[in-house]
Amino acid sequence: MPKTEYLQGALDLLILRTLALGANHGWGIQQRIRQVSGEALAVSQGSLYPALHRLEAAGLLSSEMSTSENNRKARIYSITAAGRRRLTVETEDWRQFTLAIRRLLQEG
Amino acid sequence: MALMTTLRSLRQRRRAEREFDDEAAFHLEMETEANIARGMSREEARLTALRAFGGVVQTREHVRDTRALRVESLWLDVRYAARALMAQRRFTCAAAGMLALAIGLGTAMFTVLDALILRPVPFRDPAQLAHVWMGTDRGGRVVVSPAVLKAWRESAAFEAAESAMSATVLLQVGETVVARESATVTPGIFKMLSNVRTLRGRLFDPTDGRPGEADRVLVSETLWRTVYGSDPAFVGSSITVDGRRSVVIGVLPSDFRFPSADTVLWRPTNLTGRAEMAKAYVRFASNMMRADSLRLATEAARAADGNTAQLRPWVYPLAGLTDSNATQSVRVLAGGVVLVFLVLCANVSGLLLARLTARRREFAMRAALGASRARLLRQALAESALLAALGMAGGAAVAWAFVPVSQQVIPETLLLQTLNPLTLNGRALLMTSAFGVVAILVSGLLPAWLGTSLPAGDSLRVVDRGATETPAARMVGRALVAIEVALACTLLVGATVLTRSFVNMSQADRGLQTDGITTVWLALGSSAATDPAGRAGIARSVEDQLRQLPGVRQVAWSYGLPPHGGMLSFGEWTSDRPGALPINLNLERYVVTPDLFALYQIPIVRGRGFTSSDTFNNVIVSQALASRLWGDADPIGHSFRFIQETFQVVGVAREIHFPSLDPRADLPEFYHPYTDVPSTPMVSLRCEPGCPDAAVIRHRLASSHPTVRVQAAGTVDRKYVAELARPRAAAAVALTFAVFALTATAAGLFSVLSYAVTRRRREFGIRTALGATPRRVRHVVLRDGLIVAAIGLAVGTVFAIPLSGALRSLQYGVTSSDPLSWAIVLATVALTAMAASWFPARSAARLDPIVLLREE
Repeated sequence: MPKTEYLQGALDLLILRTLALGANHGWGIQQRIRQVSGEALAVSQGSLYPALHRLEAAGLLSSEMSTSENNRKARIYSITAAGRRRLTVETEDWRQFTLAIRRLLQEG
Repeated sequence: MALMTTLRSLRQRRRAEREFDDEAAFHLEMETEANIARGMSREEARLTALRAFGGVVQTREHVRDTRALRVESLWLDVRYAARALMAQRRFTCAAAGMLALAIGLGTAMFTVLDALILRPVPFRDPAQLAHVWMGTDRGGRVVVSPAVLKAWRESAAFEAAESAMSATVLLQVGETVVARESATVTPGIFKMLSNVRTLRGRLFDPTDGRPGEADRVLVSETLWRTVYGSDPAFVGSSITVDGRRSVVIGVLPSDFRFPSADTVLWRPTNLTGRAEMAKAYVRFASNMMRADSLRLATEAARAADGNTAQLRPWVYPLAGLTDSNATQSVRVLAGGVVLVFLVLCANVSGLLLARLTARRREFAMRAALGASRARLLRQALAESALLAALGMAGGAAVAWAFVPVSQQVIPETLLLQTLNPLTLNGRALLMTSAFGVVAILVSGLLPAWLGTSLPAGDSLRVVDRGATETPAARMVGRALVAIEVALACTLLVGATVLTRSFVNMSQADRGLQTDGITTVWLALGSSAATDPAGRAGIARSVEDQLRQLPGVRQVAWSYGLPPHGGMLSFGEWTSDRPGALPINLNLERYVVTPDLFALYQIPIVRGRGFTSSDTFNNVIVSQALASRLWGDADPIGHSFRFIQETFQVVGVAREIHFPSLDPRADLPEFYHPYTDVPSTPMVSLRCEPGCPDAAVIRHRLASSHPTVRVQAAGTVDRKYVAELARPRAAAAVALTFAVFALTATAAGLFSVLSYAVTRRRREFGIRTALGATPRRVRHVVLRDGLIVAAIGLAVGTVFAIPLSGALRSLQYGVTSSDPLSWAIVLATVALTAMAASWFPARSAARLDPIVLLREE
């Protein structure tokens, strides 16, 4: 499993994107990122949970303790309206950024 | 949302941690199950999950850090600040003490200002309350008649109209009789003023004050405590007021002052008594224009009482300083407090600056570890905020101690002009907090900004060398001390001028000798006093009684008592000089027996004294009057006119002076012979070694002449003492302020120089090693201090110019540009600066280079 370093901004983007599809708990978010990226992106718990709490403190996410699908206590995160706005902005930024990188790489 | 989370995390930090543990446990379980699904054994699956998760504890802490946002870190700042302050107790005590003094003085001053100027009428909605007289446009004023007052109550002119008449009453308590101020009031007056509550018993109700039920009284707490010994069964008992038994129905708190500041007893009236007078107090309705109210009141008054046809109501405030001189002195006092406040804040600012620059290493370290400038600023400000909080607590205590002192220092004539009891109240404590906030902003902001400004990159390196202060901090520290010197210098100019005024006034030439003289003002109230011969007979026998009192050497009769106690005559006086024009003068006239001049030791400088053959129009003029009317010419034998009368000058007496801040108080005078005994004559007694007490005189005359009443008795000196009260208070307050400011400034200079010497130890060590003498090193530091003081003095001189204008109403025989005052100020500031610089300079000169080199 290749370890990929990425910017913190990218992690925020991944979390927001994942939650935009539906509320989920921390483990679910981690699994989803791994699956969707074809196992290319692995988010460690040490980065994931602080990021979740930071985004919540910034008002982009909300959370509540509830019961998971297998009847266990879990914290379920969902995206807020502010989070959706941020997602739109960040997605556009990321698109521009990757486009620029791609052009740079194709030049040679 | 974010704030809610923050608050929640603060309040439920433990719970949040537990929740995270749950969250982590859930994650591990899910991961373990997923691993099992991939075909691992349970044990292996759990270990893999744990390994993948990494450090649970670190993650938990990281999460907590993100959640524990502003509020919690603010709390951390405060705790850190508290620890920092605890570690430096001496600094903390000095800074908090100075802030407490500044805040306390400010609060006490506000209380005085509030009572005397801002809120002299401490009742509900005081702007709507007024005292009303009837009068013409030409200036005559009469009290409102009861009929008019009743008409006003029935009209829509005012929301309420009540009456309160003041009078002095005699209270008999056991064997003694005391005189106190009382008021006869209509029962509704308490409701009109505000929600007055009794301490004990009840207020008047409308039935009180009806004829036959007027013997009920309300008594002030002050009177109850001082005269009636806080008798617990006081309400319901009876007391003797002006010889009549009256039942006490209630005790009013000492804070309630109305209609005068010294009223301590209230009697009811419903204004139905014969020839009763009313003195109207009204509350305007808030929904009606003043002009409309007064028009309605005029109409109602004219309909109710034919005598008021030509009159209309005139409105006056219930209380407050009306004299512009008095208002000016209170303003000067407030200005002084502001200066002291600024000096103390500048001083605290200097201390904070020195401390923060000394801790630059710590700040640099924190900045290197990632603290932002804002974070460091907050930390620095948290410390000054904590100091200010300490200062506020101390300030409230200082104010609490200062307010009773100010009540003693402020002349009674000023205190009697307010109904506000001058106590530390909620408004004042609100001001304490306001002063605290101002103090932290004034003293904390600049040091925090400078202390946390670190040149990027080289901060650690530069700071580590511990060499010198930054140029900015150095400049600001010295500028602060220069400002302190300037402010202290301004205060000192004020204090010197006021003290010299007081000394000048108390030593001013009075032109007469009043030591050992007591005066008695009599009222010859018997039927025998109706004809001149009868009055002369009573006067002779009274004089016999007085001469028998112990120590009495001389007795003289008069009408009008020098100084400043004659009959006033305003108008145009014309001398008999050929072609002389009338001169407009205010004069005092005394009617005196021939021996009065000897008794008061007023020499007759020209002509002769009175003889028994003189008529009322033969007069002795004072020197000032003589020179006004005849210039240098000899006035003896000349005459002058006043309206219809012509006076013949038989002698010239030395001018008598009445030193006062008000130059209009000292008037020229002339004397008439005592040809007829008036019904209210005055007697002056000169005694050796001292005159009997006023009470002894009263007692003697009361037993020998029951019909003769003593209206007033006392020493002549008390007039001067009363006149000196204001300059003495002004000088005392100004001196206190100047001492505070000067001490604080000296401390500020001392700490700035000591700090500079500590920072420049290496430099001084090297200089000494290179051959500089201790004398030379000492001079470097001394010069540093004296330059700062000189700049401050120069600025202070500029500050003092507007001050001299403000002090004009408090000056006597001295001006702010007076050279002696300036010499005193310069010498005091220079000596203080020398003293404050000496110790740091000496310690710099004593530095041992060997020791210093070893330290490196």
